[in-house]
Amino acid sequence: MITFSSVSLIYPNAQRTIVEDISFTVNEGELLLLIGHTGAGKSSLLKLINGLIPHHTGGILTGEISVAGRSTRALKPGELADVVGIVGQNPVNGFVSDIVEDEIAFGLESLGIAPEIMRKRVEEVLDLLALAPLRRRNISELSGGEQQRVAIAAALVTNPKVLLLDEPTSALDPIAAEEVLSILHRLVHDLGLTVILAEHRLERVIGFVDRIILIHGDGSVDLGPARQILTSSPIAPPLVELAKKLELGEIPLSIREFRKIAPEISEAPTKAIEKLNGDAILTINSVSASYDQDQSSKALDDVNIQISGGEIVALMGRNGAGKTTLLKCAVAQAPLTKGEVRVNQRDPKSFTDKELIRFVGYIPQDAGDLLYGQSIKQECDLADLDNEVEPGTTLAVYQELMKIPSLNSHPRDISEGQRLGLALSIILSAQPALVILDEPTRGLDYEAKKVLIKILKQIASSLDRAVLISTHDVELVAEVADRVIFLADGEVIADGSSREVLKASPAFAPQVSKALPNNSWLSLSDVERCLSEKN
Amino acid sequence: MIKTLRASRESFHPLFWWLWALSLLVILLVSDSTLISISISIGAVALVLMKRSNTYWYQSFRWSLRLATLAFALRMAIGVIIGVPMPGQVLFTIPSIKLPDLFVGIRLGGDVTSQRLSTAFDEATLLVALILIFAAASALSNPHELLRVLPRKYYGIGIATVIASSVAPQSARSIERVRAARRLRGESSTGIVSSRKVAIPVLEESLERSIDLAASLESRGYGYFPNPSRYRPHNWRPRETVALAAPIYALIFLFLVPAASSALLAGLVVIAVITPGFIS
Repeated sequence: MITFSSVSLIYPNAQRTIVEDISFTVNEGELLLLIGHTGAGKSSLLKLINGLIPHHTGGILTGEISVAGRSTRALKPGELADVVGIVGQNPVNGFVSDIVEDEIAFGLESLGIAPEIMRKRVEEVLDLLALAPLRRRNISELSGGEQQRVAIAAALVTNPKVLLLDEPTSALDPIAAEEVLSILHRLVHDLGLTVILAEHRLERVIGFVDRIILIHGDGSVDLGPARQILTSSPIAPPLVELAKKLELGEIPLSIREFRKIAPEISEAPTKAIEKLNGDAILTINSVSASYDQDQSSKALDDVNIQISGGEIVALMGRNGAGKTTLLKCAVAQAPLTKGEVRVNQRDPKSFTDKELIRFVGYIPQDAGDLLYGQSIKQECDLADLDNEVEPGTTLAVYQELMKIPSLNSHPRDISEGQRLGLALSIILSAQPALVILDEPTRGLDYEAKKVLIKILKQIASSLDRAVLISTHDVELVAEVADRVIFLADGEVIADGSSREVLKASPAFAPQVSKALPNNSWLSLSDVERCLSEKN
Repeated sequence: MIKTLRASRESFHPLFWWLWALSLLVILLVSDSTLISISISIGAVALVLMKRSNTYWYQSFRWSLRLATLAFALRMAIGVIIGVPMPGQVLFTIPSIKLPDLFVGIRLGGDVTSQRLSTAFDEATLLVALILIFAAASALSNPHELLRVLPRKYYGIGIATVIASSVAPQSARSIERVRAARRLRGESSTGIVSSRKVAIPVLEESLERSIDLAASLESRGYGYFPNPSRYRPHNWRPRETVALAAPIYALIFLFLVPAASSALLAGLVVIAVITPGFIS
């Protein structure tokens, strides 16, 4: 269906080639997963397949790519619109209508399909992606998972033979992600669609895929069956890492496969470690909040939370459950209708702007919003001024946190993980008592996540500091959080230690605990600790 | 027989608001009268308030109002401080700076006469009216709908228009978000230095969004096939014609009865501007 023959791609003025002399063939009806570190060229490879590169984005291409017998060099993306559908990283940016139905019909309109056929196709796709109840809704009011489904529907409506998806689940909660993936699975099996998807959170998709393309980042790629690639890949889901750690000799792709080969591991009853907590840092007392003037719908409903020093607390729940609103309470940016918020015994409303950053460091969903310097160096200098600390402090924090790419790089050009690190350094150089992160792992690869975990643990190692983090990433929570708070419809529905809360929920249980249900472990580091104690 | 779908009854044809803006622009430039500029500005604001909606393009109007205020203030200040000397009664005097002989005839500061003040005011109101006409059109029309009715032969123009008309309203949304983020870095979000810091991320984001939108249009075949069809066609109905006729009648009246009393003219223009507000 797709053939690459000795394809090379380089961007003008770039230091390295994205891919060099690669050749492979993708068959009809395959579900292919594209993996690689951030910036390795996953998105570029997807764009090559529908001709956005070189026709739209630029780039120097040699070799030949053909899709369903058509060459992408000769044809522009628009001329391939009837065979390839693509869903970008931010589907919201690509929407051209406000109503679900109209958005889906757009591709058909462009192709000049007759209205009678168009109505039938739209109807079919609405059913296929279970969007019929939402057909007249405004797209901007939908949840992230629903928007993702609309984008897939809009790409599928022209009956393409190939569907390309760039991180389709990274913004979704586990349940919405599951929904999207099982729909893709069905499309591949029922309709013989060829699907290629790029994804960081392998644990979500690995069970569905046939083959994997691993982009090394040095221009070479590996393509092979999932099991074979994962044996040697530096990027692997926790389940595979666990199997390697336990030296099982096989690579399990699903929990079921793992359990078949899983050994009984006796676990020495660990003494319940009394974790010492410091004083209360954030207190939220029967708080309600609403974005409507008439308070008809509540973003938060009578929420009570206390977070003490030394704690790392994860806030979980569906898209739109009120997580961000709750985080915003701590910086006095939430529309409270009732209740009180205290940060270090003070109302955050009473902080001046300069005081605020010394008490609360807040990283918003798009960490880039915090940045406005023209280079990393300038950004760090500006942060020193803002935070009123010694010149060079922020840069020193950044250097401690991670390897700096180049001081002159523009903050927009560095990888997602490095950008998050920069934003964190800016926040941390002010030494806030409470560090808040909103969805920090969107677009982070496993390596960047490890660095983040280390940083967060370091912050909370002192008793007068706490971390509050909102995330959909179960594996991150399992590694880092002491306590999990679950929100649903603006209400707290669970609040307890990560072990109790995560283990109790089938959808939110991390892979390690699903794979070894008889043990109390949540994450790889738990297993590691136990194994090393044994030896 | 399969029934064809129709666009929602409440909304005007996507091109309507831009034609409406064009007709007001002609009135504004033909009449060249401060009273008409003021009438059009008042009418445009009133109309936008009448057609209140919850959409993001409507929300951008607040920012346009601020822009208009800023433009007015700047134009007045420049008019008072810089310019050629003008006759008339001296109202007050500001300290003047002697300019080198190269700029003969231009003065900086000095006597402010009634004539100078009124010229500055005339030009400032013209500017405000211009801004508000475009602000009203972009606050009332859905940029995405515009994309669908533009002839696809002129594919490039279509994309450029849509991106241009959607950048401003969407940026208004990002401004709020970035300003909130700015406070998280310990800065109050006012002042000129801070506005630069807000502008950079907002512009970068809008650039990114425009590129994504263009890529999406491109990958979905926009403009590649000669005869696109419409899922939910927008028809030009009598209501559009009636609403557009009002400013055109006002224009004809302006031509035919140049001696009409200014109060009558002003009233007529205001009514012409807000006519679409009564048709829904």
